[in-house]
Amino acid sequence: MQRHTGITGTTFISYANPTSTATPRGQPIHEMLTPFAAAYFTGAFVTDLAYWQTADVLWERFSIWLIVAGLVMAGLAIVAGVFDLASGRQINKPILPRALCYALAVLLSLINAFVHSRDGYTAVVPTGLTLSGLVVVIVLLMGLMGSTSAYRHHTGADT
Amino acid sequence: MMHIPNIARPAKRSLSILFVAVAGLGLAGCDDSGGDPKMQIGANPELPKLQQYLIPPIRIAKAVGWGKDETPTVPQGLQIHALATGFQHPRSLYVLPNGDVLVVESNGPKAPIFRPKDVITGWVQWFAGAKAKDANRITLLRDTNGDGIPEVRSVFLDNLNSPFGVALVGHDLYVANTDGIVRYPYQEGQTSITAPGTKLTDLPGGPIDHHWTKTLIASPDGSKLYVGVGSNSNITENGIQAEYERAAVWEVDRASGAHRIFASGLRNPTGLAWEPESHKLWAVVNERDEIGPDLVPDYLTSVRDGGFYGWPYSYYGQHLDPRVEPQRPDLVAKAIVPDYALSSHVAPLGVAMYNDTELPANYRGGAFVGEHGSWDRTPLNGYKVVFVPFSGGQPSGPAQDVVTGFLDANNHARGRPVGLAVDRTGGLLIADDVGDTVWRVSSGSPSKPAS
Repeated sequence: MQRHTGITGTTFISYANPTSTATPRGQPIHEMLTPFAAAYFTGAFVTDLAYWQTADVLWERFSIWLIVAGLVMAGLAIVAGVFDLASGRQINKPILPRALCYALAVLLSLINAFVHSRDGYTAVVPTGLTLSGLVVVIVLLMGLMGSTSAYRHHTGADT
Repeated sequence: MMHIPNIARPAKRSLSILFVAVAGLGLAGCDDSGGDPKMQIGANPELPKLQQYLIPPIRIAKAVGWGKDETPTVPQGLQIHALATGFQHPRSLYVLPNGDVLVVESNGPKAPIFRPKDVITGWVQWFAGAKAKDANRITLLRDTNGDGIPEVRSVFLDNLNSPFGVALVGHDLYVANTDGIVRYPYQEGQTSITAPGTKLTDLPGGPIDHHWTKTLIASPDGSKLYVGVGSNSNITENGIQAEYERAAVWEVDRASGAHRIFASGLRNPTGLAWEPESHKLWAVVNERDEIGPDLVPDYLTSVRDGGFYGWPYSYYGQHLDPRVEPQRPDLVAKAIVPDYALSSHVAPLGVAMYNDTELPANYRGGAFVGEHGSWDRTPLNGYKVVFVPFSGGQPSGPAQDVVTGFLDANNHARGRPVGLAVDRTGGLLIADDVGDTVWRVSSGSPSKPAS
């Protein structure tokens, strides 16, 4: 287990009785990638709000790039997730609600990318803005549902 | 540990179901076929309900070029041959008084990437053969003996900036580059111009320059130049401030270079012509995309002084476009309905009023229109030269196909017609920017000598 101490470092986590529950096979990679997409999608909602208020196309352009960046990161996370499953790495429970939420957020964002690729005002208002808002709600729900593996499983702690 | 994959499996299944659903939505967008274009020809086109897409339909004809001895097709009574080949994206044509033909070889400036969509658009254009290098020159052709084969071919003007329109008034030759009109001294018989040009006026150019062609025509008395200036977007997605003095026909004073907006709300007026009977200015205009295979019909219209024709706020009068915000009800209220619809997405890029005698008499007085062809509609529309008969200064009947066969049996583009001109002997010239050829249509009687 000593070889894992370098991944996140012990200094960030100081619990009374730190014990790693991460598996010997390694920390799930996808969990390191999932927050990126959530952050990009949230950013897109903020820039959508700005576009709604100003009708300045610059905000709409920020939004579409943020959504696409989020989708790219989500794609990497999904590939990593498949890899994690295939390689038998520890997948933290409860996986199903979070995976479904994540999939829904990615799906809505994919649709949103197409909506945002329309020309003119209806690229954002009302459908694009609504989708961006829904995705943020889902991301928040996921935040409530579970936290990072490092927090819950004390990854990186000495065993 | 062993139960983990079992939990994961339903999640994966849900994922795949969701992705199938997305794919389905996408296909629904592509599967949408347009109606019969004939219903959208003339003064009262059928206008279906506006649609907005997740994935707008893209249907392009792959550019393949002409095989040896292949030519476009013309109806009985006409014949067609290649006046000259081997051009680099020839877009427009101009005939000088001595019969010399100017071939403007040009392509637009590089389009900026603002959104991921612009990357896709670039690929689509490359596939359709629209990404040829910009030659930025005008080539002169001279057929001295009138046999339909030019003996002289020379570079007339070089180092231009995405030129399109040309107009000669006396000894002043005007070239409309994408960013300005330049005047050159011209003497009859010249085969090249080396003298430096003088700028008459700037025109709206980069950095976006979405519709880059600037068509040009002189007033009959030579005192004014009229310039077609296209919009800087499909439907204001680059911001309304990018549309300043665009989507309009300018009137430029030839003496001072001062301009005023002669008519506006014309999304992309790519061809201008004087109607021979009424002496009014007419234009072919490319309308907006991405609201359906049958919206919005491109059109041929008279251009009224001070007239507003709808773009971007509305089309065909008061049909509002929800993609434009804020709207302008004051402008929409006075939006003029265009005279004659050519059907949707045909992309009319050239117009020539025919007032000559070489071609059969039924073509006299009407308008030829070069339809470059659709890219966002199934089935393909355009890819031909049509004739709109006129009577009393107004279109008087359905458009007739005149030059076809630009598409082969597989719907690949052997060529695409762009600019038109009538040569000194009354033949119809067609610039073909995919076949890189200039075609000449003449009367079918092979024995007829050129005048």
